[in-house]
Amino acid sequence: MQKNALKFLTLMLCIGVSTAYAQTAQPIKREFKFGKIAPTEFEVKASGQDSSASAIKLFDVGNCYFEYNSTGGFIYVFERHIRYKILNKNAYDLANYHVELYRSSNSAKEDLSFMDAATYNMVDGKMVTSKLNKDAKFTEEFNKNFVIKKFALPNVKEGSIIEFKYKIRSDFTFTLRGWEFQSNIPTLWSEYNVRIPDYFVYKNNMSGYYQIEHPVHETVTASYIPGLSSNAVYDKYCAANVPALKEEPYVTTMADYTPKIEFELRGTQFPGELYKDFNGSWPKIIQGLAEDENFGGFINKNSYSKSVLPGILKGEKDTLAAVKLIVNYVKNNLKWNKEYSKYANETNPKSIFEKKTGSSADINLALLSLLKEAKIDAYPVLISTRENGEHPGYPVVSAFNNVIGVTQIGNNLYFLDATDKDLPAGMLDYENLSHQGFYMDLKSFNGKWLSTEPSVSSEKIFVYNMTLDKDRKLTGKINQYSKGYSALNLRNKYRKTNNETEFVKNLKKDKTGLEVSNYKIDNLDNLDELLTETMDAVIEDNVEEAGNLVYFTPLLFERTKENLFKLEQRKFPVDFAYPFKESYRITVNFPDDYEIDKLPKGGIYKLPENNGTFSINYVTEGKTLMVKSTINVSKSLYTPEEYFDLKELFKAVVEKQAEQIVFKKKV
Amino acid sequence: MKYYLSLVLTIVSINTALAQIDYDVAKIPENLKKDAVVVIRNEESFFDVKGLGEAKMDYKVAITILNKAGEEYGEMAEVYDKFSSIYNIRATLYDAAGKKVKDYKSSDIKDQSLISDFSIFEDNRLKLLKFVSITYPYTIEYSYSQDYKGLLSFPSWHDIKGFGVSVEKSAHTIQKAKNYKMRYITSSNLQTDSVINGEKVQYKWKSANVAAVAEEPLSTGIDNISAWVKASPNQFEYDGSTGNFDNWKNFGSWLFTLNQGGNKLPEATKLMVQNLIKDAKTPKEKIRILYNHLQQNTRYVSVQLGIGGFRPILAEKVAQVNYGDCKALSNYMKALLNEAGIASNLIVIGNDMPSLNPNYSSMGQANHMILCVPLAKDTTFLECTSQYKPMGFIGYSNSDRNVLMVTEDGGKIVHTPAYNAKENYQIRRTKITLAEDGTASSEIKSTYGNAQFEENFSMTLMEPVDLRKKIIEDSPIPVAELISYKYAQPDKTLPVLTEEINFKTNPLLTKGGDKLFLVVNQVNRRESVPLKVEGRKTYFAVPFSYNDDDEINYILPKGYNVEFIPKDIVINSEFGSYTAKFSIKDNMIVYSRIQTMNNKKYPPEKYGEYVDFYKKIYQADKQKAVLAKTL
Repeated sequence: MQKNALKFLTLMLCIGVSTAYAQTAQPIKREFKFGKIAPTEFEVKASGQDSSASAIKLFDVGNCYFEYNSTGGFIYVFERHIRYKILNKNAYDLANYHVELYRSSNSAKEDLSFMDAATYNMVDGKMVTSKLNKDAKFTEEFNKNFVIKKFALPNVKEGSIIEFKYKIRSDFTFTLRGWEFQSNIPTLWSEYNVRIPDYFVYKNNMSGYYQIEHPVHETVTASYIPGLSSNAVYDKYCAANVPALKEEPYVTTMADYTPKIEFELRGTQFPGELYKDFNGSWPKIIQGLAEDENFGGFINKNSYSKSVLPGILKGEKDTLAAVKLIVNYVKNNLKWNKEYSKYANETNPKSIFEKKTGSSADINLALLSLLKEAKIDAYPVLISTRENGEHPGYPVVSAFNNVIGVTQIGNNLYFLDATDKDLPAGMLDYENLSHQGFYMDLKSFNGKWLSTEPSVSSEKIFVYNMTLDKDRKLTGKINQYSKGYSALNLRNKYRKTNNETEFVKNLKKDKTGLEVSNYKIDNLDNLDELLTETMDAVIEDNVEEAGNLVYFTPLLFERTKENLFKLEQRKFPVDFAYPFKESYRITVNFPDDYEIDKLPKGGIYKLPENNGTFSINYVTEGKTLMVKSTINVSKSLYTPEEYFDLKELFKAVVEKQAEQIVFKKKV
Repeated sequence: MKYYLSLVLTIVSINTALAQIDYDVAKIPENLKKDAVVVIRNEESFFDVKGLGEAKMDYKVAITILNKAGEEYGEMAEVYDKFSSIYNIRATLYDAAGKKVKDYKSSDIKDQSLISDFSIFEDNRLKLLKFVSITYPYTIEYSYSQDYKGLLSFPSWHDIKGFGVSVEKSAHTIQKAKNYKMRYITSSNLQTDSVINGEKVQYKWKSANVAAVAEEPLSTGIDNISAWVKASPNQFEYDGSTGNFDNWKNFGSWLFTLNQGGNKLPEATKLMVQNLIKDAKTPKEKIRILYNHLQQNTRYVSVQLGIGGFRPILAEKVAQVNYGDCKALSNYMKALLNEAGIASNLIVIGNDMPSLNPNYSSMGQANHMILCVPLAKDTTFLECTSQYKPMGFIGYSNSDRNVLMVTEDGGKIVHTPAYNAKENYQIRRTKITLAEDGTASSEIKSTYGNAQFEENFSMTLMEPVDLRKKIIEDSPIPVAELISYKYAQPDKTLPVLTEEINFKTNPLLTKGGDKLFLVVNQVNRRESVPLKVEGRKTYFAVPFSYNDDDEINYILPKGYNVEFIPKDIVINSEFGSYTAKFSIKDNMIVYSRIQTMNNKKYPPEKYGEYVDFYKKIYQADKQKAVLAKTL
């Protein structure tokens, strides 16, 4: 959980600093009027590490506040005013703006109630304004839930300033629109002003790798319901001179590193009513889910389970065996529709089994329902997938987007996910490897974070047994063994291929010189067994000749040719999702009149604290050569500081694995 | 692709009231299962032309999905817009035995917008249904009707729809009034049955028992192994416009008429044009000035609505907003030139598509518009959607193809300029100074022309942080420390890009016993050979013709001796030629490599030779020199 610790620290740092700031300095107040462009704004240039930026965000100001009307009650209003300076043609797309609006199946919706936009150009020392044309506004009815409003500004050139100002009214007050303070172009000023009536309490979540200021936190008078005097809490969050955010490989999602703030409703306190706690604490959240007809209610519906369970278990008494039978039953009767969700789409597992398909929640909650009926203690675990971004850690339900199950048998925890047929009980798929999940007991309303770090090791083993002949041809057998995620990936690949001929064809791709016969794959359907591939192989084109020397790279096709980590800098942790190991062993029998002069030096290379190793060694015995190479990346997550060690480790891999075995021919 | 002229219609079409067919998978003949991921059990489309601007299509299809690899075919995804509506959708799922599993309800069918990546707005929408079966194989069946109000083209028909698809039965029918005129073309040897039925005529095509072909690399498509029909109306009506497509001349006339009056400019713009060109002496100079003005002041924004998918926005309007799609910007450029006294013509072109068929005029063969400026000595073509292309350079995806020139006398088929191998060049001179420890400092100077200019141009637009990353990631030689780099387009009017990269490398010499090995080609290596295909069926092509010319000088550290250098290699074939030369001068290894490739379409039986050609190049590119320390 290093990453969490680190991020939590950053978060604490932000809050600490900004609190201090608020006490000692005046609140930062900057005013921006639509259409009022200071001549200096045309002079703004990119600098420093962003010196070739295509555009600069001059400012980005958001307001979020509430309104009340007697028919619909409280809604929230989101206003945004954003101005860019276009520096070159690469940024022209900024002049095409779009706003996404949501509507639910009932009448609740969002409206764009105001939009103004314009382009400003300096022509002969005078500013010329071009307003957004009427025929440059479009409404895309994306589907029944989303509408996209689109706008295209006229007369955009290098040097133009463009701005957009708009207002959205939203009925969806459970989560308010959040704010991101950094983007892929530099930002001079970004602020978000939030005024929340006393009637509402929100949790907010600040995250990211850049410090956000919080200069204002005060109570102001605000009137909502006619005739009732009331207050609101006003918070201002801001950031100045934020550099552009640059993407890096091997991360969960860049959103995890973007400084941002998000809001979720904690409770309401209306005049004359009791305080209503929505999601103030974990027990409250768990209770809410336990009582939700698309969650706890769904699990409790047992008509379907009752009817099928005896047929599934057939009297099986062993708990682990029973769990596997039930998981397999769900896998064989429900197909995942590739959507993640934490709520079931139906209120009864029966309808899911009738449809034969559903979201991750439909499937895994149905699984929990069956386990419950079988009197096996199993619990839901909420997950925020890698793509969804890291959960802030404290009680926020909207930050989860997936649910799986967990059960304890003996001393072992088994995570259960029936969305992928090839996923053995206990293993989570890649997207769910976000380091932790939130376990919930729907009876006691207790919950806690569980580590989801994989317990199953992920390994690929290559074993080559070859004979080298005088035509420099290698003939023999190749065995490949896969475990854990290597096996999962291989199974997925195999299933997606039309037939074995095609699969072997793909296997040979990029392995020039390899011919394969008698390919066989074992344990394809035995998920708990070692996935084994065997084949007869003839390898040409890989052993070379120079004068009386014959030489080759013993790693053959499994040589790591390039360093995974080439870049000079690393800002964010390297997140592989799971640790992995790759072993290679080759035995070569070579002709009698060949001799090995000198073998390359073997060696072992280690990361500090044994967080990763690479070893290679060479042995000869008579006319037999044996080479072994092992790469072991033993953590799923490495800090930016560890990046350079990783880079060095892989540099050693590339160099050492490239070394040649040289035979001298007897003359 | 950010262009848009017209939708390439790929809607397939049907007959109502089919007898219930047995979808038992066991009844599929073995030859149709071989290499197949799906089997089209039965497909019937019936396209009934009811008038100039009115038609109805009835479509029905049943597809067996044999395994997971065929899953993408397990859905219904049909396109419609405000000139065509889809109704009467029925969809059913069958299991392997052909037993009905379920009928889908209309609430299962999703409706969503369908807008191309390059467009901000279009009126296309999609009816989407994903069939779900947990086990394989399974069979899907669906049918619908579609009414057209406005007809620019007819649905086309293909029996097999891709690699891995076999066909049990497929049929296509077009019905029209006797006196209604249309044209069609078909695959060779496909029989057309025409049946007269009172005042109506029916054309029928069918296909049965067609085996699947497994995916083939570098394929130019399945047209030579499938049965197909393309059909087009002569006279038509669409979104309030009428015209005639019976030949390209008339097609061009329609577009010319559609655009009439669209070439006026506001007074201010006229004045600006006169001002801009007042010192220009030659027409070429005027074109250059105005094209530059267009590139500096406009941007590409695509909106495609109804007839607006074919008619350019008025030049007056573009002058006001300074944006538009390919048609709007080409037409605006035409108006600017016109004001400068230079005549030009709009060109309808298939960008990244095959040439227009000179003998068959129809909608759907093109997707883009550029401008042609005929001058006495040389004709200039202008790509008006690019803010960067040098004047006259239209890029590889527009070059060397038949296009339609729109003139006041109607359409004319003309051919765009071709860029040959020699013009698409990459010249690279590399100096590598090796140090004792096997690392080196490397200086690479490259020049890229035409298509290779196009491929590398984006490097000049990147931000330094990203550019550094990209250079390090893409470098064929492992970079230890990037010292300097520079990208430039020395003359903005020419498609030529220069690149200079200097860096320290990780070790280039690999050890082996007491010897050191050096892969002599460090900068432009062919790392793999295309897979062999037994009994190839489809044509193949090299993506584009090019000429790579490399020279590397290795300066060796003192105390190293070259024990072996490879012999020179010459490879010639009809696909191209390759030479590699190795020599030692003082303490230098000098290597040169020239590879020239022709882009042509080659028949399937040539593929084996093509693989051999690349195998030889692969072997030649990994030749090693052997060094030893003399001490």
